[in-house]
Amino acid sequence: MELLSLFPQFLANGVVNGASYVLVAVGLTLVFGILNIVNFAHGEFYMLGGYAGVTASTLLGFPLVPTLIVVVLCLAAFGMLAERVVFRPLGIRDPSNAIIASFGLSVLLQNGALLVFGAQPKTLRTDLANVPVQIGSVFLTGQRVLIVVVAMGVVTALFLVLRYTWTGRALRAMAQHPVVAQISGVNVRKVAVITFAIAGAMSGVAGALMSSVLLVQPTSGGMLVMKAFTVVILGGMGSIAGAVLAGVGLGVIEAMVSGYVGNELRDMIGFFLVIAMLLLRPQGLLGQSTERS
Amino acid sequence: MGKLLVPLVAAVGLALLPMLGLGGYVLNVMVMIFIFTMLAVSLDLVMGWAGQFSFAHAAFFGIGAYTAAIAQRDFNTGFWLNLPAGIVTTGLSGLLLGLPALRLRGHFLAIVTIAFQTIVYLALTQWKSVTGGQFGIEVRPVEGLATIGSFYYLALALSVITVAIGWALTHSRLGRAWQAVRDDEVLARAIGLNTTAFKLAAFVLAAGFAGAAGVLVAHHVRGVTPDDFTVLTSATIVAMVVVGGRGTIWGPVAGAVVFTALPEVLGFAASYRLVIYGFLMILMIIVMPEGVFGAWLQRRGK
Repeated sequence: MELLSLFPQFLANGVVNGASYVLVAVGLTLVFGILNIVNFAHGEFYMLGGYAGVTASTLLGFPLVPTLIVVVLCLAAFGMLAERVVFRPLGIRDPSNAIIASFGLSVLLQNGALLVFGAQPKTLRTDLANVPVQIGSVFLTGQRVLIVVVAMGVVTALFLVLRYTWTGRALRAMAQHPVVAQISGVNVRKVAVITFAIAGAMSGVAGALMSSVLLVQPTSGGMLVMKAFTVVILGGMGSIAGAVLAGVGLGVIEAMVSGYVGNELRDMIGFFLVIAMLLLRPQGLLGQSTERS
Repeated sequence: MGKLLVPLVAAVGLALLPMLGLGGYVLNVMVMIFIFTMLAVSLDLVMGWAGQFSFAHAAFFGIGAYTAAIAQRDFNTGFWLNLPAGIVTTGLSGLLLGLPALRLRGHFLAIVTIAFQTIVYLALTQWKSVTGGQFGIEVRPVEGLATIGSFYYLALALSVITVAIGWALTHSRLGRAWQAVRDDEVLARAIGLNTTAFKLAAFVLAAGFAGAAGVLVAHHVRGVTPDDFTVLTSATIVAMVVVGGRGTIWGPVAGAVVFTALPEVLGFAASYRLVIYGFLMILMIIVMPEGVFGAWLQRRGK
């Protein structure tokens, strides 16, 4: 009976974690869907977002909103830099080269962060940390609610941009058929830069917000990028709606497993789901099946 | 015969090395070079010859090492029983991962192998009753070969055998089939090759060699801890293969030598080791995707 009464609390915790998965996974699925790049260094954008947030709020003493703006600007710029320095020189010769290069970038950034920021985990302090929010029998701190609110706002904004702006149309055109998009006058380089900027900024915001709940350390992106890939595969590679659905879903499933089965299995459950999904329905929940040689 | 001359001279030279009165430190580094040679050459079968991704090589390395440690703790077995046990266990793990994963191509395979690597690491740290958690398990030295001077020969022999088998396999029918799968899988299937079986063979063989390397390292450092078998270890092995030259056998050997010896030589820069590996991986893929040895082969071929 007591276990059942905790159910809403587990659900809420799961949604909070799921919201951060959504922010990271949507960027990852955009980069894959539009540019056909599998970016293993995507988790490091999240980690760097955490450090950017900690630096802005703790060292420079910025309040919450300016901190988030700094994080968005820094990580959008960093995403562009990664695209320019690592991914553009690779060209489209062989997509497998991008996998190895991004794996190298991930190793480089993780260990670079270890040298610059040290192994000691850091935390982002916000005024919302001690604001309790009660919804029915569920208790959350203000910063956890903020993550869900921000994730909802960002994803809605992204939907609107993709649907109603010319830039959004260019991005969608590239995702559907790069050659035809190019013939119709879509600037491929601009699309690549914008995609990486959006992906970097979204991951960065997630990293900054989560570093107020969990701590940020050089390795925190490594596990998260695997979770994000889990989400992207479960939702369907390239599908934003799928990533949102699967992100929240994975967060909730992990919270339930951790609450009812055991905390040790929490991080593993997603991987088992991925392997099962790839066997049964490789295109994911909302993905379209594509057979390319 | 001329092709065999250089490796033969090198092997004899390495066999004479301990007689020069070198210290235990140098021999220890050499043993680690031999172990990583086994890992890099076996990963090359998968990444270079069969053209598949595997970022899980350190997981197989770890499974081999833990098989030896657990067998010795629970059944009091020695090295010569642990070695086949480690090879069989990792080979079966390779089969277990390969059967579902090899239905996938490219990025999916890369993701699933990293997921497998993560699952194995989590299991090693969390399943404390079996693996000893973060503290790991102690392992006794090899009976009769407890000194570094004698263990050196065991490691040398196993790595020479690995390179020889790797060379023989890749220059056989199997090697040509792997190349066909790598260069154009659809075409390979169209001319009647069972591509899944060939990919699986590469995966299982590579896992088996990594398992042997794992058994060796468990007895060498006389213990196992999960942090030796992380995704960063996998990254190091991938870097050896990529920088040396995928699909060349000797490139990965050179990669293993350089990447194992480099941090020892550059003692002051040891903390920059992984930063340098990451940087080299990116740089090589951009300017020389065929690797140092591969580029040399191409230039000589012209």
